[in-house]
Amino acid sequence: MKEIRIVVAGNPNTGKSTLINAISGAKLQVGNWPGVTVEKKEAELTFFDYKLKFIDLPGAYSLSPFSIEEKIARDFLFTGAYDVILCVVDSTNLERNLYFVIQLMELGKPLVLALNMFDEAKKLGYKIDVKLLEGLLGVRAVTTVATKGEGIDELKRALVEVAERKILPKRLSYGEDLDFILERLRVKLREMNPELGKEFHQIGVLLKILEGDRELIELLKIKVSEEEIRELTEHIEKVHGEDIETFLADVRYGLASGVVKQVLSKPEIRKITLTERLDRVFLNRYLGIPVFLLLMWILFKLAFDIANPYVDFVDETISGPVAKWSGALLEVVSAPSWLSSLILDGVITGVGIVLSFLPVIGMVMLLVTLLESSGYMARAAFLMDRIMRTFGVQGKSFIPMLLGFGCNVPSVYASRVLTEEKERRLTIFLVPFMSCGARLPVYVVFISAFFPERSGTVLFFLYVLGILVAISVGIIFHRLFYKGVSSPFIMELPPYRFPTLRDLWVHTWMKLRHFVIKAGTWILAINIVIWVLLNLPWKPENPQESLLGKIGSAISPIFKPLGFGDWASASSLLAGSLAKEVVVSTMAQIYEAERPKEENGEINFLEDLKDIVINFGAKTKEAVVNVFSTFGIATLEPEGPEEAEGLLGRLQGHFTPLSALSFMVFVLLYWPCFVYGIATKAELGSFKLYGQAILLHTAIAWIVSFLIYQLGRLLGF
Amino acid sequence: MKLAELNSGAKARIVSIRGKSGIKKRLQDMGILPGEEIVVQKVAPLGDPIEVIVRGYSLSLRKGEAEDIEVEVLE
Ligand SMILES: Nc1nc2c(ncn2[C@@H]2O[C@H](COP(=O)(O)OP(=O)(O)OP(=O)(O)O)[C@@H](O)[C@H]2O)c(=O)[nH]1
Ligand SMILES: [Mg+2]
Repeated sequence: MKEIRIVVAGNPNTGKSTLINAISGAKLQVGNWPGVTVEKKEAELTFFDYKLKFIDLPGAYSLSPFSIEEKIARDFLFTGAYDVILCVVDSTNLERNLYFVIQLMELGKPLVLALNMFDEAKKLGYKIDVKLLEGLLGVRAVTTVATKGEGIDELKRALVEVAERKILPKRLSYGEDLDFILERLRVKLREMNPELGKEFHQIGVLLKILEGDRELIELLKIKVSEEEIRELTEHIEKVHGEDIETFLADVRYGLASGVVKQVLSKPEIRKITLTERLDRVFLNRYLGIPVFLLLMWILFKLAFDIANPYVDFVDETISGPVAKWSGALLEVVSAPSWLSSLILDGVITGVGIVLSFLPVIGMVMLLVTLLESSGYMARAAFLMDRIMRTFGVQGKSFIPMLLGFGCNVPSVYASRVLTEEKERRLTIFLVPFMSCGARLPVYVVFISAFFPERSGTVLFFLYVLGILVAISVGIIFHRLFYKGVSSPFIMELPPYRFPTLRDLWVHTWMKLRHFVIKAGTWILAINIVIWVLLNLPWKPENPQESLLGKIGSAISPIFKPLGFGDWASASSLLAGSLAKEVVVSTMAQIYEAERPKEENGEINFLEDLKDIVINFGAKTKEAVVNVFSTFGIATLEPEGPEEAEGLLGRLQGHFTPLSALSFMVFVLLYWPCFVYGIATKAELGSFKLYGQAILLHTAIAWIVSFLIYQLGRLLGF
Repeated sequence: MKLAELNSGAKARIVSIRGKSGIKKRLQDMGILPGEEIVVQKVAPLGDPIEVIVRGYSLSLRKGEAEDIEVEVLE
């Protein structure tokens, strides 16, 4: 089978990753803001007897990179191995996109254009003469709508044809003077580098040399005569009265707008777009920031209210029938008592409780996916830039931070869009203050036990507190350690878009999957270790005498001033430093060990199954009522004094509402998880930042919780 | 006149761009070149950055950068 390597390039946010997903069924990350893809990704498929290998590049506005991810794109385009370039073009934004296409044409490689977002262009009333465009540039162009999979087949055929027949784009004329200079440079280059192949004599390379892109010249290992170049650029500057960079941009944009004038016709009267209408609210001078906060409050409250009944459902199912059946099964196979205890008390209690929070985590992931695909991310960056600048980062830093609401790990990679090293480091350092999905189990348990009527408000408070702490710490650190200046904020604002249901589902699931896999691997392993520590020396009378109890008791005085000086909290926090889901797992295991054991009830498989189904129905009804009560349409009848049992009841015995709040705040802010640590090592080359973050975040968490608890006590709570 | 001095809604033609080479290059790559029309669409709630329309798309940039863009007001 013949392999064709297709590199997918283009301006940011034109739908490159969406298109590859549509062609190959891959699940690459997509989102409606520039800078979603920050590293090379691959996907492949078979098409007749060809193996098409797609390489997804980060978007770039030109081959002169401004940030890390653009550099990755440039380097691959100049030095990577590929047969054909697929340039994805935003049809609603032809001129600026063609400026990049022209630079790709200079590389002298087979090139195909996908005129993507064709649905939006149509809606705006744009008419594009595709045949004429193909003729003018000498490339194949196919109209596509990546989100609906339109134009995919034709595109695949075009790619194979262009790659097989090695159809090269036209060599456009850049004006007599520049063409002459380029010819001279080519001859000179060949003289100085006789060993290099002809791909090094392409206009793309020549123009780069003329432009003085030292980085690339070094990367390509070509010898150039500095003096000759200086002579040529001086000539240009004298004749055209512009510096070389302005001159080249002028020439290329001149060509691009010339082509656009011929191939594009726009309607006479421009309609006011939905984006303009929405921005009147979201970017309003006075309403912008309040609307952001209000939206956050509504969304979190909704997420919590809808998902919470299912949390109970999964929990009741796991700790009820599933535990019962497993117990019975273990008895049938006459498993040794230590094994039953490990499975029932360790695995089912510890991992089960984490799994029971998947509905809530899933809802928050859905919100993050919505945020990503709507186009609001770029607006949030626009709104926050002025504030972020006070501590040496910029609006774009807010994007990784918002992504952090899902999981902090992708945020570390997403910070590549930041150009200044210090600004990037500081952003990565602050990201863990953003409350990720793994912290939700703690909130849900504590909020259900202590603040059931104020669930939305408390949750909102925690998330906003995370943002506020990040900003305050940013300001202090900027003064003390990271005295960088923020890089310029130059960002495209894409139109608002609605995600397709399929995209919404796929990308929510991709995020949730991370948690499921983690629960089945790391969290499982940690829970087994906790079980062992809780049962050594073998089967202690009282869990406090176990190894875990002793360790917990030893460190618990540290937490006394924060309101939770018991050994169970201390052990849970210690274990939770690895991954925050483990905080509730450990608590559940400890309280389970303290509980007097009772006999298992009768086993009736069918009866139990029926109960599960009925229970699910009841919880769904509850979720629906919750949604209406959020908007004040219906009110939730408090079911009388709820007699909490299990974990919640235990918590109510150990905490007061104030110490519960202090505990949640501590969990929010302390010790970033180790997966984050690994990501920072991958991005920054060392564990230094992670080490600093562990110490400082934990110290900050202690101080903030201390203030909350002690002030609360003074106020009489 | 400078781009930074325009109110939202104002329409202008770019005359020249100054500024540090890297930033200037980026602005040019984004299509901000002498002779182009530019419209100030919005100013952010805290007075900075601003949103402009150039070559048919929305771009946001700070007043600091807009200071370096010399324009002549149209109409
Ligand atoms: N209406 C419409 N939307 C599209 C189309 N193709 C992509 N989108 C949307 O455009 C946005 C950007 O898509 P991505 O695939 O992330 O774009 P990208 O080019 O990979 O972006 P970067 O990785 O940031 O360079 C997403 O919100 C997509 O849903 C299309 O043909 N029509
Ligand atoms: Mg992408």
